[in-house]
Amino acid sequence: MATDTTPGSAPVAVVARGLAIAYPGREVPAVSGVSFDLPPGHCLLVVGPSGSGKSTLVRAIAGLVPWSVPGRLEGHLSVGGIEPGSSDPARLVERVGVVFQDPSSQLVMERVDDDVAFGLEGRRWPRPAMVARVPAALGEVGLAGFERRRTARLSGGEQQRLALAGALAPLPGLLVLDEPTANLDPVGAAAFGETLGAIRTARAATVVLVEHRADLAWPLADLVLALGSDGLPIAVAPPAEMLSRHRAALVDAGIWLPEPVRSGPPHVTPRPPPSMPPPPPGLPIAVAAGVSFGYEPRRPVLREADLAVAPGERVALLGANGSGKSTLLRLLVGLLRPTAGTVRLAGQDPARLPARRLARLAGHVMQDPERGFLAASVEAEILAGLDATERARAGDVADALGLPLTRFGARSPYRLSGGEQRRLSIAAQLVRSPLLLALDEPTFGQDRRTYEALVALLRERVEAGTAVIAATHDLRFASDLGGRTVRLEGGRGRPEAAPGRPLAPGVVAP
Amino acid sequence: MNASASPTRSLPPSGWRTRDIVVTAVLGVAFGVVFWALNIAWSALAFLGPLQNLFYGPWLIPAVLAPLVVRRPGSGIFAEVVAASVSAILGSQWGVIVLLYGIAQGLAGELPFLATRYHSFSWPVVVAAGLLASAAAWLLDWAFFYSEVAVATQLVVGALMAVSGVVVVAGGSIFLARALREAGVLEGFPGPEGSAP
Amino acid sequence: MIRASSRADRTAGSPLGRASPLVTLGVAVAWLIALATTSQPWPPVFVVVVAIPGTLAFGRVAPGDLARGLAPLWLAALLVGFFNALLSPANGDPAAAVLASVGPLRVTVPAAGAGVALALRVVAIVAVGVGWSRVTDPTHLADALAQQARLPERFAYGALAALQAIPWLADDLVALREARRTRGLRFSWHPRVLVGLLVLAVRRADRLAVAMDARGFAAASRTRYRVIRWLPVDALVAAAGVAVLAGILALR
Ligand SMILES: Nc1ncnc2c1ncn2[C@@H]1O[C@H](COP(=O)(O)OP(=O)(O)OP(=O)(O)O)[C@@H](O)[C@H]1O
Ligand SMILES: Nc1ncnc2c1ncn2[C@@H]1O[C@H](COP(=O)(O)OP(=O)(O)OP(=O)(O)O)[C@@H](O)[C@H]1O
Ligand SMILES: [Mg+2]
Ligand SMILES: [Mg+2]
Repeated sequence: MATDTTPGSAPVAVVARGLAIAYPGREVPAVSGVSFDLPPGHCLLVVGPSGSGKSTLVRAIAGLVPWSVPGRLEGHLSVGGIEPGSSDPARLVERVGVVFQDPSSQLVMERVDDDVAFGLEGRRWPRPAMVARVPAALGEVGLAGFERRRTARLSGGEQQRLALAGALAPLPGLLVLDEPTANLDPVGAAAFGETLGAIRTARAATVVLVEHRADLAWPLADLVLALGSDGLPIAVAPPAEMLSRHRAALVDAGIWLPEPVRSGPPHVTPRPPPSMPPPPPGLPIAVAAGVSFGYEPRRPVLREADLAVAPGERVALLGANGSGKSTLLRLLVGLLRPTAGTVRLAGQDPARLPARRLARLAGHVMQDPERGFLAASVEAEILAGLDATERARAGDVADALGLPLTRFGARSPYRLSGGEQRRLSIAAQLVRSPLLLALDEPTFGQDRRTYEALVALLRERVEAGTAVIAATHDLRFASDLGGRTVRLEGGRGRPEAAPGRPLAPGVVAP
Repeated sequence: MNASASPTRSLPPSGWRTRDIVVTAVLGVAFGVVFWALNIAWSALAFLGPLQNLFYGPWLIPAVLAPLVVRRPGSGIFAEVVAASVSAILGSQWGVIVLLYGIAQGLAGELPFLATRYHSFSWPVVVAAGLLASAAAWLLDWAFFYSEVAVATQLVVGALMAVSGVVVVAGGSIFLARALREAGVLEGFPGPEGSAP
Repeated sequence: MIRASSRADRTAGSPLGRASPLVTLGVAVAWLIALATTSQPWPPVFVVVVAIPGTLAFGRVAPGDLARGLAPLWLAALLVGFFNALLSPANGDPAAAVLASVGPLRVTVPAAGAGVALALRVVAIVAVGVGWSRVTDPTHLADALAQQARLPERFAYGALAALQAIPWLADDLVALREARRTRGLRFSWHPRVLVGLLVLAVRRADRLAVAMDARGFAAASRTRYRVIRWLPVDALVAAAGVAVLAGILALR
């Protein structure tokens, strides 16, 4: 990609020796003892259970610790011969491109082309080179022609591809990606994966990747670094060797492996249909009938959608980015009012219920956990708004979700890893026992263990009669949940027969 | 080779890290939006007459809050000017005049911190900042909007604004800075060691 | 390939949109300072008569858009005028003609006149302010501040990036209130919500700052993708501004 006339850097080597990173105010380093050699143009996949320090490590590799992210760096790390942490940050950053998980807070400028150019300006590209490079970078990620669009108006998937274009534009020698597909639908994730595959094949840049979607990530890797839950490495090896020699250790740590592995004891294999408790007969707990909704005039998100959820039933809500899954959940639990049609929760209009009563009937886990935090510590966050009997349960729920209060209770919710934040927001709802649980992307950022714990907890709830509806991009979860599947398309729900299951009743596809 | 560095050593020469700039600016933007919403409420309070000025404080908070949070010389004026610009861009009944207000109030709120060379963030310094910012607003109001009002009335208005400067501006800024620190989102900013808020 | 049809793009291509925001800002501030020196009703009327058609014609702002911006502020002007008339010391003058009286309250003609003049001044300030905000693109303003006013670039572009926070702030506020509601907490306008909003703002700022650093914002100097220069239209706008300024001063 780089020619003599364009700036940019050749792929760089990354070397770590006994690398450790600690956050301020915490004695134990988040990661330690990391050593590896990554030759130029190769791809390092970092895997590990939630909270094992993957994000911390890759931020350090990107040269952001301690300059931008406060923290302490020990041991040896060299990126293309430059040592992050001791040299001028600008020198390293010049060769690195970074894409994080949350697309919207990576976009800096109002217009797409200005945003792509932002990184080129900082690297002092001459203007003619920028003018030539911006459309090319947009083309590489499939956004040709988007130059003057507003970044805030793009869909989640488009924003994430724009973030990749911004990272790729300066032709970085090293590309660092931290769960870049976490918010993307399966189609968007596959497209993103293909772009990465092309980069990897061309050896255009060294790549350091954190990704929970094993099937997407492992084929890209030349080298895999597996971290344990204590932040110490389990092993560093090429993928094939990792799978053959260290499989047991990886499975043990709860790391997702490629192939339909389901290794170890079959914790979550969907139970055979006969043992599935049939939804108890009777009135549905939640009903949306002919519901239409739009945030802005003339841009409807839902059009006369129908959905009914029976007590104890499980529904997986699928659909592309922007199809309205989150919107439908918020309507069901009375956080939004439909512009047409009716929503009923236990026979009442949820939008009119007083908060206390609503919280008895329905729980809602929002898509972005951080936006819903109300307290300054993990413990206070779980306890917010609980009565005495529910309080007694807090410890158990937190333990079950891998957030033991002894370790996490006093920590700030904002200083947790992404997966830990997700579990905290779920714990804050699972301590209650509402009749309907609406979960928005409950599984992102989870390792196999925390995933299984979550599925087990939900199962318990379902058996006790709670209805669960979950919006998700995670097809494995949709099937493990073991209920019916509804796909949102064109503002309406369409029932989808899960493999081997009959088409579920309750949804009227108009 | 050991590559360890403490965050304090890592400041670029100007003393302003990107994080300092963006956090200050976002505080300014957040208050700009609040200003814009409050501007309308302000007009509705006109029936209170001079007592209206008891509610002047919110417009001055960024000038004092930003220095408390970010602790960089110039943060007060930067935050206040950004806040004023945002409310002007969103539309304000004081139009682009608010930019002049932003500069004057920010500078005034900043002065006490500068006087201690950004070493002290104790109550007296914060209260002085709140009072000075109020004084700047008072003088500008006098010049722009109340030039024909009697001096005695002006003094009453000034006293009310001073009350607002102490209670709302100084008290409110300390409360908010503390809440942010408790929430754990200010890690990596110079800490509160030794100084009150 | 590039879509240039939207309304914002039409404004960007208009004379007022192409002029440096520094010039339009300077003109607006000069007018308003001149207005502050007089309590006559005619200068503000003159400013309104110039500013609104000027914004529509030379800024190619859609009338509906401008009207929406002005709407809440007309109310402000009305309220200011009304209460000033009601509370004016001139109402105490027994010699003055009474315009209206309700019980013990009375509004005299001079008081009403003062109220109208004040309301007109507010309308003029509003019209100029809303007009300026509609023809000014924040990116263009930041470019002008960095390149023409030579303010420190990192601050100008840092503030511009922070402007991206406005839509988040609105969404965050909604999310926080929803979070309270689903936990059974009443008063979803609790002051804690505002603190929470500030906490989220700082978090977002942190993440944005990391993303900016990762794209080389920490560098000591930058090159420019959007180069802006002084244009003939800047001189035209400045000249027109001075002419109107002279008009204001003459009517005083
Ligand atoms: N800003 C912070 N301050 C203090 N501790 C932190 C901070 N961010 C993360 N941690 C802690 O450091 C550890 C590693 O976090 P990190 O975000 O690197 O994990 P991760 O492997 O990326 O997890 P996930 O897969 O859930 O994203 C966790 O125990 C987390 O609680
Ligand atoms: N607060 C809002 N204001 C305006 N538009 C919104 C808002 N929230 C969502 N939208 C728009 O509504 C549509 C549906 O959004 P929603 O979040 O429900 O989709 P989703 O299916 O949950 O997507 P994702 O898979 O990305 O989570 C999208 O086009 C989105 O841009
Ligand atoms: Mg992570
Ligand atoms: Mg969603």
